[in-house]
Amino acid sequence: MNFPHKLLFLILASQACAKSTLTFNKDIRPILSDKCFACHGFDEETREAKLRLDTPEGAFKKKKRGKPAIVPGKPDESESWLRIITKEEDDVMPPPDSHKQLTSEEKEMIRQWIAEGAEYQRHWAFEAPVKGEIPGVEGTVIDRFVEAGLEKEGVGFSPEADRATLIRRVSFALTGLPPSIEEVETYLDDQSANAYEKMVKKYLASDRYGEEMARHWLDAARYGDTHGMHLDNERQMWAYRDWVIESFNKNLPYNEFTIQQLAGDLMPNPTQGQMVATGFNRCNVTTGEGGSIAKEFVFRYAVDRASTTAQVWLGLTAACAVCHDHKYDPITSKDFYSLYAFFNSNADPAMDGNKLLTQPVIKVKSPDYDEKMKAFSEREKVLAKKMTEIAKSLTYKDPAEKNPRPPKAVQEQVWFDDAFPKGAKVGSSGHPLTLVDFPVKSGKKSLKRGGPAMAQDYYQAGAAPLFVPPNAKFFFNVYLDPKDPPEEVMIQFHTSGWSHRALWGADVIDFGKKGTTERYRAGDLPRKGEWVRLEVPGEKMGLSSGAKVVGFAFTVHGGTAYFDHFGVEGVTDPASDPNLSLMAWRNSRKGKDTPEAKGKLRGWLKEGPEKARKPEELAQIRSYYLENVCHSTRDAFTSVNEDLEKIRKEKAAFDASIPSTFVFKDLAKPRESFVMIRGEYDKPGEKVEPNTPLVLPPLKKGGARANRLDLAKWLVAPENPLTARVAVNRFWQQVFGVGLVKTSHDFGTQGELPSHPELLDYLALRFQEKGWDVKALMQELVMSRTFRQQSRAASPRWVQDPTNRKLARGPRIRLAAEQLRDQALFVGGLIDLKMGGKGVSPYQPPNIWEPVAFGGSNTRYYKQGKGSDLYRRSVYTFFKRTAPHPAMTNFDAPAREQTCLGRETSNTPLQALQLLNDVQHYEAARGLATRMMNASPESAARIDFAFKSVLSRAPLSDEVAIVSKLYQRQLARYQKTPGDAKKAIGFGESKAPDDLDVSQLAAWTLVANLILNMDEAIVRN
Amino acid sequence: MNPFLENQLLQTRRQFFGDTGIRLGGIAMASLMGAPRISAAPSEVHPALPGLPHFASKAKAVIYLHMNGGPSQLDTWDYKPNLLKEYQKSLPKEFLGDRITTMTSGQAKFPVAPSRFKFSQHGECGRWVSELLPHTAKIVDDIAVVKTVHTNAINHDPACTFVMTGSEVPGKPSMGSWISYGLGAETSDLPAFVALTPNFPNGSNAQALFSRMWGPGFLPGRHSGVVLRSGNDPVLYLENPPGVNRDDRRAMLDSLGELNQRGFEKFGDPDIQTRISQYEMSYRMQASVPELTDFKKESKATLDLYGEDVHRAGSFTSSALLARRLVERGVRMVQIMHRGWDSHGNLPKEMGNQCKDTDQACAALLTDLKQRGMLDETLIIWGGEFGRTVYSQGTLTETRYGRDHHPRNFCMWMAGGGIKGGVTLGETDEYSYNPVRDSVHINEINATVMHCLGIDHERFTLKYQGLDQRLTGVEPMKVLKNILA
Repeated sequence: MNFPHKLLFLILASQACAKSTLTFNKDIRPILSDKCFACHGFDEETREAKLRLDTPEGAFKKKKRGKPAIVPGKPDESESWLRIITKEEDDVMPPPDSHKQLTSEEKEMIRQWIAEGAEYQRHWAFEAPVKGEIPGVEGTVIDRFVEAGLEKEGVGFSPEADRATLIRRVSFALTGLPPSIEEVETYLDDQSANAYEKMVKKYLASDRYGEEMARHWLDAARYGDTHGMHLDNERQMWAYRDWVIESFNKNLPYNEFTIQQLAGDLMPNPTQGQMVATGFNRCNVTTGEGGSIAKEFVFRYAVDRASTTAQVWLGLTAACAVCHDHKYDPITSKDFYSLYAFFNSNADPAMDGNKLLTQPVIKVKSPDYDEKMKAFSEREKVLAKKMTEIAKSLTYKDPAEKNPRPPKAVQEQVWFDDAFPKGAKVGSSGHPLTLVDFPVKSGKKSLKRGGPAMAQDYYQAGAAPLFVPPNAKFFFNVYLDPKDPPEEVMIQFHTSGWSHRALWGADVIDFGKKGTTERYRAGDLPRKGEWVRLEVPGEKMGLSSGAKVVGFAFTVHGGTAYFDHFGVEGVTDPASDPNLSLMAWRNSRKGKDTPEAKGKLRGWLKEGPEKARKPEELAQIRSYYLENVCHSTRDAFTSVNEDLEKIRKEKAAFDASIPSTFVFKDLAKPRESFVMIRGEYDKPGEKVEPNTPLVLPPLKKGGARANRLDLAKWLVAPENPLTARVAVNRFWQQVFGVGLVKTSHDFGTQGELPSHPELLDYLALRFQEKGWDVKALMQELVMSRTFRQQSRAASPRWVQDPTNRKLARGPRIRLAAEQLRDQALFVGGLIDLKMGGKGVSPYQPPNIWEPVAFGGSNTRYYKQGKGSDLYRRSVYTFFKRTAPHPAMTNFDAPAREQTCLGRETSNTPLQALQLLNDVQHYEAARGLATRMMNASPESAARIDFAFKSVLSRAPLSDEVAIVSKLYQRQLARYQKTPGDAKKAIGFGESKAPDDLDVSQLAAWTLVANLILNMDEAIVRN
Repeated sequence: MNPFLENQLLQTRRQFFGDTGIRLGGIAMASLMGAPRISAAPSEVHPALPGLPHFASKAKAVIYLHMNGGPSQLDTWDYKPNLLKEYQKSLPKEFLGDRITTMTSGQAKFPVAPSRFKFSQHGECGRWVSELLPHTAKIVDDIAVVKTVHTNAINHDPACTFVMTGSEVPGKPSMGSWISYGLGAETSDLPAFVALTPNFPNGSNAQALFSRMWGPGFLPGRHSGVVLRSGNDPVLYLENPPGVNRDDRRAMLDSLGELNQRGFEKFGDPDIQTRISQYEMSYRMQASVPELTDFKKESKATLDLYGEDVHRAGSFTSSALLARRLVERGVRMVQIMHRGWDSHGNLPKEMGNQCKDTDQACAALLTDLKQRGMLDETLIIWGGEFGRTVYSQGTLTETRYGRDHHPRNFCMWMAGGGIKGGVTLGETDEYSYNPVRDSVHINEINATVMHCLGIDHERFTLKYQGLDQRLTGVEPMKVLKNILA
């Protein structure tokens, strides 16, 4: 453990200087890009002294006065070199106020490069990948490239890791979960030559694979379950998340995966899945904040979508070009806004409305949806036909048309008998609405109404209105419960408000003003225990002839009463009574709104009977009247009508239970797009058409105007130099921790160069040749010897290559947020592997959402889920973007407010606290302890079980000793304080089994907590 | 294992590779068990970046009092006595401009609402202060008021993001994260950057906060502000599970240390050493945080200075005292976010409550720091995300009016380390509607904060997405020399 670091310095220094020939892309461009291009690069606006050094034309250009910046082969005649070495403070480059300085090594490299002829190259990533010669002879292609690199460094591969390490590594890399003990044993026992391959294929075929792959993609897609800004209300688009998981599991080729997400809606006859996929471009954060300026946000959404697309697929940080030409990469503002133009005709609104579903959305139908809806419709049709038949069979003749005119008559209209009027939305206070068979006055049922104080049944909407006849006298039958007689009964009517009441008894119900028609006392209570008919004149309640009653109520106080056969008696003139005459009714609706009538009917009624109507329209009006209004006919429809209502309700309920999801669509007429000056939404400059950056191969248009489908196809076209490289690099990063291009989000000139450029090109080309087959690529990566190396190394190696870019050892990566939680649930035997659906709410400490949320937000209060919702895989945890779950943020998950193509892996005390103390983790430890105790009665065997569960390996003897010591201490302590033991095993919603010794289980729980907190458990070795 | 050599090796790695990902490497086991320090000494847990600070700093710590929602400058610091004459008159068109929120852009009139509050002069500097701030009025000679801060954003979400991260678009690191990243902290027992979200008065119009306001953006996650919560669990997951006491945890961590030490010997990964030290720090935090939040040892005089509210858990006042205690223990930045300043409707009533909830505590914090000799090394910033309009939104009477968002000019004050007391920067027109002198961009405030901490904001950058990112954005921003001591 002693390393002479002076030697290390020498090695590094010599690497820099000993090159015989320098190449522009590898050696010179990084220096110029970092130190010179900001002022002498691509961006015309900030270019100083009209000099650009990023092209040979610019650098070699002859000047009217003075020397050219670079004279190939002649540093001493090159102005740029002279400026670098000058001692004059006013002349020296880079200027001191830029805070950029060249090191002496860098200066020397520039000099040498000029001396060698100053040969320029185009930026490597914009050149097509080349199939180079594969070095070496043995092993996979990956290994041959990596080994060639190692040989240059004078080292070789590390030995292969042991099998236990390998299966845990593969299992986590492909499924995000540790292997089960059985899986480990099967693999260890498998003596066949292709045991490793079999193991890999098993994990690739697992449904868990899609979940692990998806979590990386969902970071890139900035997927969340809330809008992300201001109220940060819930949005429903989890079907997109499930589509991503399913796509990886189905192994949808990456080119298809790309096209469907960017342009599924533009594909010919898109399937539901292809539409759901377009959710990718609806994942961006949106606002519903009052006062926002719509234009500004339309602009921002399109900018987000364009830059996310550029970054995810092309590895280009195009967002810089929002405000100005890219300083480093040859992406102009015009290029950026041409890309933006593909997304600038979005149909979704600037304001999300804080709604669960902001248009455009589609229903995510289950496979049997259409069939079920059809069945409903057919039953509906049958009944509707029946209704028509009844209407036809009725011999209704409008009394107004009868000659002679029918005489006036005292006539009774029944408003309640066995049921409230059709469609009435009945509310109740006291016990729920109750219709009873006994006692009954009339028909089959009566209404029972009672409650502790005031209690009532009422409606004020949903049913057709009732019209008060002339000289109206209201009546009803009441039966006071002899065991629980009320102090008062009341009937109430709603016209434009609840302002018509009659009461019998104590007058204690405090509605309306005493002594007015709002509160008319009609008499004392009748006798108990028998049916009594009570009557009251309409005028006493302010209900005069023609009044439109839209609701009524039966109300009692301090006891129970039964109501039956309620209605009104009037001197009716059938020819002018809207309840009996179609013409009278139509006259009464003229010029008024009849909201209970739906569709066109509503308008026709308002227009009145004078307006000429087609016969079929008149028939519709008549049918409606006979079914719903006319007292002499409507009863004939009641039973069929009820059946019809029921089916309609069922249909609506089924339809409402189907979730929807956000999709991307364009406006019918595209918006015009402009270069926005300085990136300001209200400063349009030059007009642009949708197009791809000019530095890359040209776009092929399908129509007159390029659309997103053209863009998506262009991305995955064989001539695109970036997409495949960027994709394979990110999959590499998933598997190895660091990409071949370390800056996996930036393949531009500011990004790092690939550590193994030829290998990257090989993988990119092969990926395309094999039909963008992601599973095949993942298999190739994990099958490589490079991946299978052991991850241990002597300290100097860690110092020389801390992020393992040379690949002289296997990957050693801290588990991701989701993996840590899922591992605990898995080994604790708690995990519920149900897939898909609405995001769930596992344990979360109080006051994560509440202190930050806006008062009116529907994600202000966190409501913890129950039962298995606490133990689902983390990819299904509800993601609130302004306050993500601490289990995510604590372990470096992004807030999903913008695209993220690789997470940090930090190492903090807050992480330690969570893994030690979080109820989710301690409950899981108890689960593991339970499994340990069930596995064997022997302590050593229990420890063995725990190590195998968590680390996939047996413990070493000194490890057993350390763990046993803690167990013995804890056991003694808990035997002394059984109260604490009970508490320790009672943490969490699931219950500890009651057949295990409490002190032992508590002690083993702390031991399990210990093992789950070992570095080796937190890391994929 | 020779801790000294190991430490050296890791230092070497840092110098040569400039790795920004994991910088916690160099912690020698031996130094982990030290007692909490209140003096200034570099921490092994939160080291500064090499080369920082760029120059000798005045301030060692920052307390940012963020008044969320946008306090009215017209009713606090920007005194406009002549407006009384303009009551109910429409704001002249030439002042209005075209960037108005859609909450008031449809109003037929823009009637001027003079402040209903009395102003009087205070301190040697003779500053005009509203009667809403009687306590802050007593410390005016210690604070510098900037009357002409402006921001680009006109709505809360982007404006809050802007004021705290220097950019309207989510995804950039917060100011505290930058400071944590650059300067680390002088404690090994507490986080470098702490955020507090106190209660606010009932009935005030409160806006949402966003974790990005204290989030690390693209900086390593450990630079995120740690939210200290009111109540029993000030740091998430701080308490041991039920039935597990401190001795149990010690025994368990001893075993864990032994197992992990073996892991280190096996794998050689220096991250394992870091992990061991972070577990030890978590154990120390279990003691240091409760000690931190326990005010029992504060003197009666100190508690009286803050007032009765200091005893109410989660109040702004208790957060202010907690801020002093944090800074005293070596925490680099404390950010208190007090909500409820978004007075669109009944401003006089709401502002009254808001000021009552905060005024005494702000003054007490400053006085307390001063009495302890800490004010010179602690920078305090007070302000919201924008100001409010001179014209009324909704009903206007002499005692009732509302004000809409106003990004063109609003007031912030700064005090303490590096700041000259008693000065005013900037002047606004007679309607407090546009700056007429010394307009100050929000990122110039941020640049000044950095300057007080000894950081040249233009040189303090991290390359991300192809750009040298910095707190103060891509446009040139100047340090506010006029308010520097």
